[in-house]
Amino acid sequence: MARTDSGRLEVRDLQLSFRLPGGDRLTALEIETLTIDPGTTVAIMGPSGAGKTSLLYALTGIVRPDGGTVCWGEVEITSLKESERDRWRRRNVGFIFQDFNLIAGLSALQNVLVPIRFEKTRPSIAQQERAGELLTRVGAPQKRDTVDLMSRGEMQRVAVARALIMSPGIIIADEPIASLDAENASAVIDLLIGISRENGSTLISVTHDPVFIGRMDVTYNLLGGRLSEPPNKKVS
Amino acid sequence: MINPFPIVLADMRRSLVGVIAVICLIAVAVALGVAVSAQERALRQGSTRAAAPFDLLIGAAGSPTQLVLSTIYLQPASINLINGQILRKLTETEGVKYAAPIGFGDSYRGYPLVGTTAEFVTQGGTVQPVEGHVFKSMWEVVAGANVKLKIDDKFSPSHGMILAEEEHDADHKGIEYTVVGRMPRLGSPWDRALIGTVEAVWVTHSLPTGHQLLPDGSPDPDRIGPPWLAGETPGVPAIVVKPASVRDAYVLRSAYRAKETMALFPAEVLIKMYNLLGDARDLLAVISVATQALVIGAILLAVFASLALRRRQFAVLRALGASRTYVFATIWLHVSIMITIGAAIGLGLGWFSALVLSRVFESETEIALPVTITLQEIGLAGALIVIGFVLAAIPGLMSYRQSVSAALQR
Repeated sequence: MARTDSGRLEVRDLQLSFRLPGGDRLTALEIETLTIDPGTTVAIMGPSGAGKTSLLYALTGIVRPDGGTVCWGEVEITSLKESERDRWRRRNVGFIFQDFNLIAGLSALQNVLVPIRFEKTRPSIAQQERAGELLTRVGAPQKRDTVDLMSRGEMQRVAVARALIMSPGIIIADEPIASLDAENASAVIDLLIGISRENGSTLISVTHDPVFIGRMDVTYNLLGGRLSEPPNKKVS
Repeated sequence: MINPFPIVLADMRRSLVGVIAVICLIAVAVALGVAVSAQERALRQGSTRAAAPFDLLIGAAGSPTQLVLSTIYLQPASINLINGQILRKLTETEGVKYAAPIGFGDSYRGYPLVGTTAEFVTQGGTVQPVEGHVFKSMWEVVAGANVKLKIDDKFSPSHGMILAEEEHDADHKGIEYTVVGRMPRLGSPWDRALIGTVEAVWVTHSLPTGHQLLPDGSPDPDRIGPPWLAGETPGVPAIVVKPASVRDAYVLRSAYRAKETMALFPAEVLIKMYNLLGDARDLLAVISVATQALVIGAILLAVFASLALRRRQFAVLRALGASRTYVFATIWLHVSIMITIGAAIGLGLGWFSALVLSRVFESETEIALPVTITLQEIGLAGALIVIGFVLAAIPGLMSYRQSVSAALQR
């Protein structure tokens, strides 16, 4: 499968803060430097409120940081306009959520094809075939029913397939197995690691699952918006 | 080119009951406006068409409205008679194609019996019976299109307007009419009239016939229509004059606007009625527009409420790479589709309602109401659609201000 090469991630002096109701600002992220080579699988862990999800949003341009730069290869996404970031994210990032966030009322196949509709009236035959193949690859049933009737494990498989439809160079997952039973969790871990390796895409996932973390190349610990230095690197 | 339709359709499927309710609300609001507009035009056209054979009406001085209602729409009322000499004189006046008396007062089974001349029945020879022939002697009548009598049926009239199947207390004893012809449909109350000779009406009411009597002193049944004899012509409630030209029409109208008589074009009276009708239509139009505004307001509120529920879904779409335009289009299309479908159904529903109303009105009055949907009604529905398209942009634009991360983390 063709893959978009999204390049090496380089973060410099990333600052992100939220305005509190009283008017004060709460620092959410403060990252001097972070570099991730293409094709690396990265786990991010940390206590709740440490800024893990904010980091994912900052890395993918969903939020714009107050300062610093985020570069993926040649693209400095922190200097892109919002519409350009949308387009870049659409083509380079596959997003997987803890609670799946499938579109209720659409079938599995239609859900996988949703990102295609962001820029095309109708998916090509090749894209439809690819969506079917992805569903087979993740082991999701290709029923015509809407996804509302699926089990949680099936839903997350469909969500993984949806994340892969644009052949992204970056897969971002936010606690992808936290709401799954052990069996499904194990299957989704296999899928995410396996597909990232097959395609050479960069996988960045927030997780606390020791099995998942154990299979990642690198693990970062996020505490109070700061990354632990140095990261725990596996000897490969 | 983006394609928000799958998301919109999925959203609609999820809230199908709400979507149908919204579409019905819009349809009813639009239907009200369309029905009022179409119905008012139908009333105007129908009443105008019914008045077409009555170019100039001349009657005894009194209420012009009453004269029009009694002669054109055959609404029973006692009106003052105009001197028979005037009728006689009119038939001999230059610029008059024909002048026909309209005499009424009797009925049979609820069908008004009208006495006039063959010239008026055939409108100067331009209208022929579809069956049988026009009356040729005093006791012959032609039936209007909706009269349930056959050719050769005979009947005795009752005095006044006595409704069907009542006891014939007031029968004119010994008088018998014969149906000899049937007129084509005119779309006016004359469709349920029995039309005979004015001489028969006079004789029934013990008046002279305006003609030479037979040697035995009885009326001559074969002498009907003008010319009538001077001094022997009884009074009539109204005279319809067919002028030879527009100029003649105005000359005659001013000539008979005198102390004893009045002359009028039915349109003069109808225009007053149309003004009233127009006022009623305007009032109903305001109500209908207010209803539509209320409905649109209610829909926008409902959309805002549902947006709060769908915020997360839109944030997910953004995280997956959808542009703000895509989210805007999803919201805008959702609202616009409901409004368009509702307005289209409303146009049909309004037309149908006007049609049903017209049928009811027709069966009551015999005035044919031609219900048509014109650009005016299409414009009504179209205006609502356009306003809806513009207003649908408000919730759409609000999505531009939504923070994706805030909506995702909630």
